[in-house]
Amino acid sequence: MSSGDRPDGAPSPPDGSGADRARAAGPGPAWERPLGTAPDVWAVFVQGRHRDMHVYAGDVHAPDAEMALVLAKESYTRRDPCVNLWVVRADHIHATTQSASEMFAPATDKSYRFGGSYRQQRRILQSSYKASYREEDQ
Amino acid sequence: MSTTPSAVVDDPEMLAQFTERIRAGDQLEAGEWMPAEYRFEALRLINMHANSEIMGALPEREWIPRAPSLARKMALTAKVQDEVGHGMLLYRVAETLGRTRDDMVAELVAGKARFHNVFHYPAETWADVAIIQVFVDGAAMQTQGALRSCSYAPYSRVLKRICYEEDFHIQLGLDVWRSLAEGTPRQRAMLQDALRRWWTPIMHFFGMPDRVSPHTEKMLAWRIKVKSNEELRQQFLRKFVPIILEYGLEVPDPDLRWVEEEQRYVYTEPDWEELKRVGRNGGPKSAERLALRQRFYQQHAWVREAMSRWLTTQARGAVA
Repeated sequence: MSSGDRPDGAPSPPDGSGADRARAAGPGPAWERPLGTAPDVWAVFVQGRHRDMHVYAGDVHAPDAEMALVLAKESYTRRDPCVNLWVVRADHIHATTQSASEMFAPATDKSYRFGGSYRQQRRILQSSYKASYREEDQ
Repeated sequence: MSTTPSAVVDDPEMLAQFTERIRAGDQLEAGEWMPAEYRFEALRLINMHANSEIMGALPEREWIPRAPSLARKMALTAKVQDEVGHGMLLYRVAETLGRTRDDMVAELVAGKARFHNVFHYPAETWADVAIIQVFVDGAAMQTQGALRSCSYAPYSRVLKRICYEEDFHIQLGLDVWRSLAEGTPRQRAMLQDALRRWWTPIMHFFGMPDRVSPHTEKMLAWRIKVKSNEELRQQFLRKFVPIILEYGLEVPDPDLRWVEEEQRYVYTEPDWEELKRVGRNGGPKSAERLALRQRFYQQHAWVREAMSRWLTTQARGAVA
């Protein structure tokens, strides 16, 4: 398991209570909800090196945070480097629903937010300048 | 299982959308709508995989106290720990499809669930450890490697990590294999004997060649199955027969040969009845290994009880 692409829970037991608690902002389908996992499930976040981000690695079952940290150490730091662990009750995680993924789709062209698009513009400008350059005009 | 695929009729429009989406190469996250039959089959597959990981830790575990050196003991312990860890990851994935881990483990321990055929056989000598690490894990790697592109994203993510760790198991196994194959005549004979005993279970590993059936086609279309049983067996033979020959050992099937025109190995058909019998927990070590799991399951019942009571106490504290 890698990176923070956490699934948004599951509709049936034991991860099943999430759907009931899903909430919509006004009418229409719910756009966010808790993961709805069982109360003993903890999500584990691993920091590989100092100053790196903590990355979601997977889950453990544990009755409390201390036990969750012990199990997370055994389960997710056996081999690859780790300097710090986070555990959080998975049921405390809220997620946008899968069906709400459209809200992240850009409404307009967002190329103006990327440095690359300005580099591209400069290249076009320079090439059009070259194309219009004629010896006899000089 | 409360939901059998026949008990629920899926909305035909949702079903068509789902099939189209998977066909286009998309993967599913936990909690998304899926056909009842998809849930049933994916859960069955992942649950059996989880069972196989924790039962698969047992044959090699028997050799931890008898490993021939400290280095081998440490590496073998790490490998066995990985297998149990894989079981934990997989039970968690299975949970997102609707069963609790407690329920699945209780069913396994009661002898009512299935686990992979190879883990029903004895590990008689240290050479068996080499065979398990190279050939059994090698076979598992073919199946699991293919399933990394399956349609259930939580399973596919876990498989990536599992395959990464399985690579260590196979490399470790090759090292044990090499030292025995290049060892004394007795060591070589021990390795050849272990290979002979394991050949049939390994040929069984991938299952009977799939029948051409609407069911198989659906599993392939939904990418709960990615390659056919025979494809995986051929892929395995292409990679692992050369390892046997390289060290001058004999392939236990005298009729096994490579057919250039067909680009495949032909082999003696193994006894499929044996696979069925073993799969129903009727193998030479099934009862003994299940009894061991049962014994520890009962011995540790107080730990599970203490944890669940502590959880309840914590929860009550949080409310108060």
